[in-house]
Amino acid sequence: MKKNDMVLIAIILAVTAVCLLGMRIWQKNNTKGNATAVVTIDGNVYGEYPLSEDYEERIELPDGSYNVLIIKDGFAKVSEASCPDQICVHHNHVKYSGESIVCLPNKLVVTVQGGEDNGIDGSTY
Amino acid sequence: MKIGKNFSVIVPGLLFAALIAGIIIYRSVSGPSTLNRYTATFLDVFDTRTEIVGFAKSKDEFAKDAQLIKDELIRYNKLYDIYNDYQGVNNIKTINDNAGIKPVKVDPDIISLIEFSIDTYYETDGAVNIALGSVLSLWHKERMIGMDEPDRAKLPDADKLKEAALHTDITNIVIDKENSTVYLADPDMSLDVGSTGKGYAVQRVLEYAREKGLNNILLSLGGNISCIGTRIDGTCFRLGIQNPDMDSEEQYVEMVDINDGECVVSSGDYQRYYYVDGVRYCHIIDPMTLYPADGFASVSVITDDSGLADSYSTALYTMTYEEGLEFVEKRDNVEAMWIMHDGTKKYSEGFIEKYVKK
Repeated sequence: MKKNDMVLIAIILAVTAVCLLGMRIWQKNNTKGNATAVVTIDGNVYGEYPLSEDYEERIELPDGSYNVLIIKDGFAKVSEASCPDQICVHHNHVKYSGESIVCLPNKLVVTVQGGEDNGIDGSTY
Repeated sequence: MKIGKNFSVIVPGLLFAALIAGIIIYRSVSGPSTLNRYTATFLDVFDTRTEIVGFAKSKDEFAKDAQLIKDELIRYNKLYDIYNDYQGVNNIKTINDNAGIKPVKVDPDIISLIEFSIDTYYETDGAVNIALGSVLSLWHKERMIGMDEPDRAKLPDADKLKEAALHTDITNIVIDKENSTVYLADPDMSLDVGSTGKGYAVQRVLEYAREKGLNNILLSLGGNISCIGTRIDGTCFRLGIQNPDMDSEEQYVEMVDINDGECVVSSGDYQRYYYVDGVRYCHIIDPMTLYPADGFASVSVITDDSGLADSYSTALYTMTYEEGLEFVEKRDNVEAMWIMHDGTKKYSEGFIEKYVKK
């Protein structure tokens, strides 16, 4: 084996190691930074909103009912709604992957996708 | 020279093969790349949110498992419904509609729920009573009006409540198992399975899913949560206990790890309630006083049967902490956590050690 072969092997190994490491870091950063609030109405996706940008929208339904979605400081919450029970308005704001706010009367669900995981599979309510 | 030349091919070749093998081993150890975690959410059964968490190779495969569970939930929802009629189905509402008139032929799954609920009635000294429909409907009606139009919010008439309470005798439920019928002997009584129906359905549906070979499943029906097995990596499913203080930054007051077949349910005053003259009245009615219970912000129960967890949490909510603690400590495999109105937490003896992992 020539010296050049060794150099080549060393370079291939080094490049592979750098690639693997890079992929790991990229994956990690990507899942952390990309938290998105996905709004569905009756199961259909209405819109997707990155939690990194402050935003407010009054989501109107055809029958005149509504929910106001607010994204602020990396959290999503429903600040106002036409539903009688107001459960969605009273719900704590959400930011972790998989957390959601539900408005049953309006069939509206805000779910956080991606982003930081709080390690929880479900919760009582 | 010939040998040297071969070496110059073999050595890098072996190294390369070792590298590939290393990557494959690394990837298989570092994460379950073959099975993904999926969640299915739907809002159309039991008037609440249902969530199914599972692990599968593909979304389609998971959808098949989730559908199997959903179909069963839809079936139970129709059977245990007290508000709606379904074509070709005799349900609890049909039984209520025929109170004092005639026995109703029903699915055996209705009879088993009613029998389970009657057992629970005696076990909880009447704190959980499915024959309380006449009283609960008075509260339900006022709560609906009060939530819709706060200006018109009022309490049910006290005399009407007392009159309704005369028609809550659980022994007036007449079950004929041979003919699969249920009859309410008192024409003014009605069944309300709100405190047992959901939990019982979860238990039965998970037993069915288990028979069908499903594993590593978490099912949450309106906060009634139970599981089959563990997460795919063998660790326990971890659940948050909802903070009854909805304005708090902390959504959960505690995290609990549940084992195969165990179930968590919380009962509280923070979800369904209405205000009359600035006082909050929640949906859990104490059968003894006929008025909403208000002893705690919430009570959570963990046990190995979802139907029992559901009814125990309702029962504990109407008891004092001391009574409730005695109730829990008398039973194996039941643990509970009480949250007082000031936010203080109290636990049954084994709760923290068994379920709260750091």
